[in-house]
Amino acid sequence: MTAKLAYKRPDTLDQALDFLSEKKGAAKILAGGTDVMVDLRAKEISPDYLLDVSRLEELHGIRMEGGGLHIGAAVTLSEINSSSILAEHAPAMQKCTHNFASTQIRNVATIGGNVAHCSPCGDTIPPLVIHEAQAVVASPRGEKRIPIEEVATGPYRCFLEADEIITSFILQPRKADFADFQKIGRRKDLAISRLSMAIMLDKARDENVSFFRVCIGACTPTPHRMTAIEDLICGKKLSTKLLFEGGKLLSEKVIEITGRRSSIIYKEPAIQGLFVRMLYPLV
Amino acid sequence: MDQRLIKIEFSINGRRVAVDIATEMTALQVLREVLELTGTKEGCGIGECGACTIVVDGDAVNACLLPGVQLDGREVLTVEGLEKDGKLHVLQERFISDHAVQCGFCTPGILMSTHALLNKNSSPKRAEIAKAIAGNLCRCTGYQQIITSIENAVDNLARVEGVE
Repeated sequence: MTAKLAYKRPDTLDQALDFLSEKKGAAKILAGGTDVMVDLRAKEISPDYLLDVSRLEELHGIRMEGGGLHIGAAVTLSEINSSSILAEHAPAMQKCTHNFASTQIRNVATIGGNVAHCSPCGDTIPPLVIHEAQAVVASPRGEKRIPIEEVATGPYRCFLEADEIITSFILQPRKADFADFQKIGRRKDLAISRLSMAIMLDKARDENVSFFRVCIGACTPTPHRMTAIEDLICGKKLSTKLLFEGGKLLSEKVIEITGRRSSIIYKEPAIQGLFVRMLYPLV
Repeated sequence: MDQRLIKIEFSINGRRVAVDIATEMTALQVLREVLELTGTKEGCGIGECGACTIVVDGDAVNACLLPGVQLDGREVLTVEGLEKDGKLHVLQERFISDHAVQCGFCTPGILMSTHALLNKNSSPKRAEIAKAIAGNLCRCTGYQQIITSIENAVDNLARVEGVE
């Protein structure tokens, strides 16, 4: 084997940033490798360097800090799955890991990689959106925060510049009365989402919905919080009729974004159906 | 560490090894081609079938997706490490006696996924076993004999522990 690719495992975030600046786009960031290795094998990417950030201390840990819920970018899906902090303060985030790929992949794949890969069907994205998450981005110019909906500029296209690294995500924690994530795929495990949805809801004392968040994944090129549906549901009492109305509006909003693609014959009722199924236990 | 050949050191089935590898190599290639441990199989090569499952620091991972360089400093267990003093692991014995093996290609991966499960949960229920091996495809058995063999192995292990 002729070795063309070089490997760098920095000890600190500063070293990693220096390396990226120096290599000017010739380096690919590697964390769990579950996307990078597939892309390398398929020759879809051909970097000169792999910069391995998986062991950087700065990219690890799940903690509450200053009212925000911080998840390090190199935290694995398995760590999210077993986190008691997330179970309490961001349950939909935790639920999205239950059927994420397989145990083998969850053990190494990271949340940062799932977000930065910008696949429209990344399962961590809808839960991040309903928690109004921000991506914390480090570069030689300092640190900035980007709303999660702006991370992907299109399918598989990330806003990140060549010298930038996502170091963590900051979520707005919420112990919601109800939170769920569900997806539809072709098999139960290792399924790429055809459609995914994250929902979070609080009820007031009069049983009316006082807080509602919904985000749909895999159907649109980039993630969208569906505020029109949030406005429809908020302030009302959940009924079967309201859920069907909400589901219909949700399909309509997806069509507004994507146009009527060939898959819409399936997706239109599936979007409505998933929305109703997720909330029906509350009616 | 900015070079074309990388020196990595790790523990494989309880033995320390140091090898020089190219960055392009997967953990699977390191095991099969460098260390000549061919018990771990390559199926799909893209993380969908689980035939290449190995246990790294106690967790099941796909060796085909793991960059070889990330083995550095890790404790790796492969199917070759299950046998102790010439005696098969009880999982292996039950797979043989309870007909969990037909063509056998998926078997090493399933054994390793199961081994990782038992590290964390010594008395898994049937549904937990099915979930733990959901990332392993078997096109022969239909899975039922595999899951039953694992249940039987769990019973055997519990009995052994009960005696001791």
